[in-house]
Amino acid sequence: MKNALLSVAILVSSLGFSQTKSKDSIATNNIQQNAVNTILSSKYKRGVTIGGYGQVDYNQPEGKNGELDVHRFIMFLGYKFSERVQFVTEIEYEHVKELFVEQAFLSYNVSDNINIRGGLMLVPMGIVNEFHEPTTFNGVERPSVDKSIVPSTWREIGIGVTGRFNEISLRYQAYIFNGFASINDGKVLGGSNGLRNGRQKGAESIINTPNFAGKLDYYGIAGLRLGLSGYFGRTQAEDEVQEIDGADIGVTMLGFDARYVNRRFSARGQYTQALLSDTKAYNTLNGSDLGSELKGWYAEVAYNLLPLSKEQKLDAFVRYEKYDTHAATKDAGIARNLAYNRNEWTTGLSYHVAPGAVVKADYQILDNAIENNKSKGQFNFGFGFWF
Amino acid sequence: MPLKIINRKGNSILDLDFGFNLINMIIKYILVLFTSVLVLAFGLPKNILKKVNKEIKNTFNVEQFQLNSKTFPSNIADVLPASFGDDNLFEIKTNDNLLGYAYVSKAESKTDHFDYLILFDKDFIIVKSKVLAYREDYGGEIGSKRWLKQFIGKSQSDTLIYGDNIMAISGATISVRSMTSAINNVLSSIKILHQKNLL
Repeated sequence: MKNALLSVAILVSSLGFSQTKSKDSIATNNIQQNAVNTILSSKYKRGVTIGGYGQVDYNQPEGKNGELDVHRFIMFLGYKFSERVQFVTEIEYEHVKELFVEQAFLSYNVSDNINIRGGLMLVPMGIVNEFHEPTTFNGVERPSVDKSIVPSTWREIGIGVTGRFNEISLRYQAYIFNGFASINDGKVLGGSNGLRNGRQKGAESIINTPNFAGKLDYYGIAGLRLGLSGYFGRTQAEDEVQEIDGADIGVTMLGFDARYVNRRFSARGQYTQALLSDTKAYNTLNGSDLGSELKGWYAEVAYNLLPLSKEQKLDAFVRYEKYDTHAATKDAGIARNLAYNRNEWTTGLSYHVAPGAVVKADYQILDNAIENNKSKGQFNFGFGFWF
Repeated sequence: MPLKIINRKGNSILDLDFGFNLINMIIKYILVLFTSVLVLAFGLPKNILKKVNKEIKNTFNVEQFQLNSKTFPSNIADVLPASFGDDNLFEIKTNDNLLGYAYVSKAESKTDHFDYLILFDKDFIIVKSKVLAYREDYGGEIGSKRWLKQFIGKSQSDTLIYGDNIMAISGATISVRSMTSAINNVLSSIKILHQKNLL
């Protein structure tokens, strides 16, 4: 009986096998694949991954003409060479006509807890620089702290390690990066936007001093996620001037962020501070007005007006931001400009029509610390997507 | 021989025409069992199997055990919300003593897939869940031991709702949704299999 069963089993398996083969070679709709299917299914095991995100904005300041802008459109392209080796890149169009490579790195998975990464990567500072897809934050525009203090999208070429320890709910990142350029295509670091002009973005970037960036994320408390970021180094100067006083400045940036979700309520906040050294010599050499300290924070609360059983989400939110690119100026040898001590209220709605697609509308009140300054209002409307 | 062999989800599974008599049915079940024990129980990738074994040892506090693949007729397995092929559900036994069940499968993250394990007791109540392999940066937070704890105690009578009785994680929305719906699908499949008296 046993032998008989075995031979039946063998017969059946061979039948099954030939059946599979023949099905494969004839055009039945359950086996045949087209190119798109191949790309989509190739996300399993190895192969190409495609994706993208972007946002289209309408900004209407009070008493001025409005602006309509395809603010950014990013194509994500990934290739998995093996279970351990991947390449990831994001190609970005800003304002339709500016082309950038936002990320391009090779990642090697050493073990469950360790990945080595090298290439053009995001500097882990605060929330939005890393999580900048428009479906992940409220408001048509990113928080201003993540523009003027953390110059998002902040990315440079570097190498480092990243990974997680699931037992203690901790994620870590540590990188050696190229730093800001002291003078970038003739543009200097300055009062209004702090370090923003110095971003080299991996485009023929110059280096003479490596910088360090690291972040710890802790998510071991239900609904809460905490982040602690640090960045230490100096700006990069050209060969001819690098020995001159004021050719570069020292940069120390620290950030703390928190995100919380509990049912329909969510909240987030961030504090970022940058201490800049040798700014006096830098300002003297370049005739600039870079402060010796940049500081900013924001806090935001949101409530989903739709029941949780719905796939759609309608978040009503309010955010307050306070940021100052002239938080300290004495050591920089310049006069403090109170117009750089800004505060903003932003309130509005984020309507997530499906996971990955959002329509946003908000109103902002923009003010600064100048006495009797008349605050400005701005209405924003737009949509964002991420797939 | 009026045998019909259907191949879906990449598994070669036997199916029999209606009207087959009882003897043929018995042969079929023996065959399915036979082939699964012989070949298919070892179909899990080595690194995944290693992690599964480790979790079983720690959770059930045993050194020695057998894993027997538990499969179902394809006409039933194919319409279940979760996949129940040859390498998904396993009985965990020590000396013919049933300890519980292990369910191993894959779910999608943002741009890749991840492997997960659910351990059940004899009554199909979750005693442990674990992400066995996560392959991208986004959403890796779902591997958090603390977060996965919330699935313990859930059974076929529970419905998991993302953000409601299952906590969201900032920065991991896609994977949290995926893991939640994956476990939901497994639980409701078990419910269906129970109703059909197959478990």
